[in-house]
Amino acid sequence: MPMNLLLVVFTLLLNGCSHEPLYQSQSYVFGTLVDISIYGESEPRARELANHVQQEFQRLHDSLHAWKEGSDLTRLNAAFAQGETPVPVSPELAQIIQDATTLSTRSNELFNPAIGNLIKLWGFQRDEYSPVNIDADAINALVKQAPRMSGIVIEHGTAYSKNPTVRLDLGGYAKGYALDKAAAYLRQQGVKNALINIGGNIIALGQHGDHPWRVGIQHPRQPGPIAMLDLPDGWAIGTSGDYQRYFELDGKRYCHIIDPRTGYPAQGTQAVTILVPPAANAGTLSDVASKPIFISNAGDKAQAAQMMGITNYMVIDAQGKIFVSAEMRRRLQWPEKIMPKEKHVRLENLP
Amino acid sequence: MSGWKTCPKPLPGDWIVISAGLLLVVMLFLTLWHGEHAAKLRIRQGDTIYATLSLDQERTLDIHGPLGNTRIVIHQGRARFVSSPCRNQYCVHQGWLSRASQVAICLPNQISLELLGAKKSYDSLNY
Repeated sequence: MPMNLLLVVFTLLLNGCSHEPLYQSQSYVFGTLVDISIYGESEPRARELANHVQQEFQRLHDSLHAWKEGSDLTRLNAAFAQGETPVPVSPELAQIIQDATTLSTRSNELFNPAIGNLIKLWGFQRDEYSPVNIDADAINALVKQAPRMSGIVIEHGTAYSKNPTVRLDLGGYAKGYALDKAAAYLRQQGVKNALINIGGNIIALGQHGDHPWRVGIQHPRQPGPIAMLDLPDGWAIGTSGDYQRYFELDGKRYCHIIDPRTGYPAQGTQAVTILVPPAANAGTLSDVASKPIFISNAGDKAQAAQMMGITNYMVIDAQGKIFVSAEMRRRLQWPEKIMPKEKHVRLENLP
Repeated sequence: MSGWKTCPKPLPGDWIVISAGLLLVVMLFLTLWHGEHAAKLRIRQGDTIYATLSLDQERTLDIHGPLGNTRIVIHQGRARFVSSPCRNQYCVHQGWLSRASQVAICLPNQISLELLGAKKSYDSLNY
């Protein structure tokens, strides 16, 4: 009998393990993988909430798509190219443009969502990338025409561009914006614990049971994480890398992050990861603020981070050398002994 | 048999054998101990878990995605994308996955592989 009792207790314990109140849903939106984890809600409610968030993501994707016919952004871009005739713009899109303009100014225009024509020229406004014939003349001409966010005028629910070469591409903004929207919605619905991941940009609500949400940071050249960290309540994490969207031509890698100063893909960096403390726009910042750091030259990266108000960041340069800010270093855990194993990897403090 | 009862002092040659043994153990530890070995492979297809399979088998799977057929192979405790209809072949270039928490994703064909260990070392991956 005691043996039977023991079995029952064990079975109950095992049951307890398998019924962790964690709901996970996955989908493909924004041309990437979207993962939603909700902890501590009943499964039907968690499913309903996650479905709502996924639908909202799909709506944003359809509205903010940079090259699909019929999206709000495509229609606006077509109007910008036509000349200075104001066209109606939704309050949401107007607010996004104004916010993106502020962030673009703050980044000394290294974050520049107005260079859609350059991104298109490099073949990155497609679902899949293949090497393009580099049209140096067209690139130089576009850089000279200086498409900038400040060229857009928004008034009385309409928008126009003083510069016809402005073509919006919110690839470095929309996913972060969607994170903020989702986090706000879930909080408003009373959800205490959730983790939302849109194509690698992640925001945390609460924690995973009795411990913080744990996030792995992808190794830019290997499958699996290079480091891990706890993502506390309200924090967001974002990475700009040269390994998700790129093509190779004559042995050289061209990634999707274009330096607006040269019109060419930024070189010299494999990845920049940043952590953003709780704020209403933490998700947006986690998407936007890694770009100026990625694009800046090696000597200017710390300054670019400062400009964007980022104190937690990690840079992996073209040689695989890792640089971390002092604050970030305290948060990172290295899951394997990568330091001695990969002799080219060095960990260095940034000023 | 009486000779076995006393333990003679090790000779220099014994020390060499013992040292070599210890050195071998240390070397094996350094070369083979690469984090937790994975036990299972989780395959996701679109928004659903397609299968969670033991890595302790030899198996080839063909999974259908929006672009067509993706072939995945499980071999000697490892798994990988072998062929994919996507243009860039990033997923195939990822090569073999062998350790827990390793991930390979094919975004165009919406199929992902994840190796699971005894316990998940993180909740989500930043990339």
